Amino acid sequence: MSQNTDLLTLRSVSKSYGTVPVLHDIDLSIRDGEFLTVLGPSGSGKTTVLRLIGGLEPLTAGEIRLDGQDISRMPINKRPFNTVFQDYALFPHMTVSGNVGYGLSVRHIKRKEIARRVAEALELVQLGRFAERFPAQLSGGQRQRVALARALICQPRLILLDEPLAALDLELRRQMQEFLKSIQREIKTTFLFVTHDQEEAIGMADRICVMQAGHIRQLGTPHELYYKPNCEFVARFFGENNLVAGKLGPVQGEQRPIETALGRLVCSISDQPHLKTAPDGASAFAAFRPEALRLADANDGDNRFSGTIADLAFAGSSTVATIMAGADNAAQRLRLRMPSRIDGSILKSGETVSLSFAPHEGHLVLA
Amino acid sequence: MSTLPRPSTIFLAAITTLVAVLLYSPLFVPIVSSFFIISHGNVDWSSPTLSTYVALAGNHDILAALRTTLVVGVCTVILSVVSGTLLALYYHGRHSGRSILQFIIFLPFLMPPIISGLALLIFFREIGLERSLLTVVIGHTVFVLAIVYRTVLMRLQSMSRTLVEASYDLGANGWQTFWRIILPNLSSAMVGGAILAFALSFDETMITILVTGTQSTLPVRLWAMMRLGFSPDINALVALILMFTVLLCVLAARFLIPRQMATERN
Ligand SMILES: Nc1ncnc2c1ncn2[C@@H]1O[C@H](COP(=O)(O)OP(=O)(O)O)[C@@H](O)[C@H]1O
Ligand SMILES: [Mg+2]
Repeated sequence: MSQNTDLLTLRSVSKSYGTVPVLHDIDLSIRDGEFLTVLGPSGSGKTTVLRLIGGLEPLTAGEIRLDGQDISRMPINKRPFNTVFQDYALFPHMTVSGNVGYGLSVRHIKRKEIARRVAEALELVQLGRFAERFPAQLSGGQRQRVALARALICQPRLILLDEPLAALDLELRRQMQEFLKSIQREIKTTFLFVTHDQEEAIGMADRICVMQAGHIRQLGTPHELYYKPNCEFVARFFGENNLVAGKLGPVQGEQRPIETALGRLVCSISDQPHLKTAPDGASAFAAFRPEALRLADANDGDNRFSGTIADLAFAGSSTVATIMAGADNAAQRLRLRMPSRIDGSILKSGETVSLSFAPHEGHLVLA
Repeated sequence: MSTLPRPSTIFLAAITTLVAVLLYSPLFVPIVSSFFIISHGNVDWSSPTLSTYVALAGNHDILAALRTTLVVGVCTVILSVVSGTLLALYYHGRHSGRSILQFIIFLPFLMPPIISGLALLIFFREIGLERSLLTVVIGHTVFVLAIVYRTVLMRLQSMSRTLVEASYDLGANGWQTFWRIILPNLSSAMVGGAILAFALSFDETMITILVTGTQSTLPVRLWAMMRLGFSPDINALVALILMFTVLLCVLAARFLIPRQMATERN
């Protein structure tokens, strides 16, 4: 895969509806062939990003480049992108094959050729048997696949998908996630996939772009976002996390201590240059995942503190403990996740325990 | 499923029935009595007959009026559907002056017909247009335009915006989007509007009397006949007009009320 060349670049893109700013100075590069997910809470501007790229809305400022060429003013029907709309937007008066072939027939491609490519596309989305049905005669998942076939038949450089799975029930959503991934691998087209569901994003994306309030907060692989969030928002939004506020101490190589209510916690700062340059005494959070927190043993020197187990919740393969730590074992709420054991948990509610996490499993985010 | 207690349900049903009977029974009287002979102003209930209809079929004046009505109706429908659809598209496109335009479209429909009719009459006189079937068609079109316009506009507004966006997104230009996506989705509203327009034109009397030349339409003919007294064929004529109008309304409803989405088979 030629994943390292940029297909599409957004440069300082802003968008306002009337006087209301919705996107602020967005910079984003989409690589050729990747599955990029835009993740953010509702109202964060995800749909707007998609509509700007698709050409459904004009930019307020900035530019969009395709292969280095400015396409900001290219009309929507000339852009080599196709969209899978959130409500599918299937044409109700056309059959499935009419819908799928529409993009070809408006380009005056020969009927025979259209029929062949429609059959191919329907085969790809496993809807061959439904070619002559109308959209109203299909289930939600089938409509979804028609919308996908209709978008990819024009062989776009980029497929834009706006929360395409939001209307489906959980089981179907899982299936469609795998299905979309497998299709993307098969046709090797770049996908830009919008969702507000972080599990969906983790499961599908090569890279994730986290948005909040019209800003891009972080762009990286799911692994990077999970283990090296660059701000409080991403650290809290993306997966369950423990955040403990404090003041930064002096850098110690690839680690840096932070003074918190739990005492001095040492965390890794490797690959995060902005944490090396942050001044001493700056406000920050120590962040560590529930699965990184564990009962301390005699060898643990760093990051050791005590806490009281407030609650134990059995969640199948794992057990989650809610722990109160800090002053009087009450100031700071933490979560600890450990594999469940057939003979019951080694933790007991109400017990006070000594806890720890390894410095390389903790990281810092600036407040 | 009713959530009301039983006594109130019964009460509601009784009221509804009463209102329905009061409202609609006058409509059935002429239909029923058209099948009986009227002698000395009283209906002779003893001998049902079709003689009034036979008499009607032999009445050349009435047949000519019927032809006129149909010609006027068809012309009105064509004119009003084309212009009503264009106006609805203009309004929907958020162009300037849309509220004033909408007000002007609704005015003739909301004003008393005699005012609309007189205004048209004066207008035709001013521009020197002789009263003829053409003036009748213009009068009817002005009158029924609001209905077609409103029907088409409502369909346009209920059409998902993303259908048009999807069409452009797939590479279609404005012209292709109009003919292949917008128009087919409006067609049933246009047919429904056309039927309503025809029904309105078919019954229209006041404006027609004022702007027509020598030819009269069916309702105008009926009006003239009634001034001469109640003849049996009037019952038959009223019955026919009534049944035809009801039929048109039922037809229009079929096109305008959204059908249940076809459920998935197998
Ligand atoms: N056409 C519009 N006019 C005015 N405001 C809009 C319009 N579309 C979206 N917005 C606003 O822009 C913000 C971002 O919207 P959107 O991009 O749809 O967010 P998301 O898809 O992440 O939920 C929201 O606050 C929304 O209210
Ligand atoms: Mg959205």
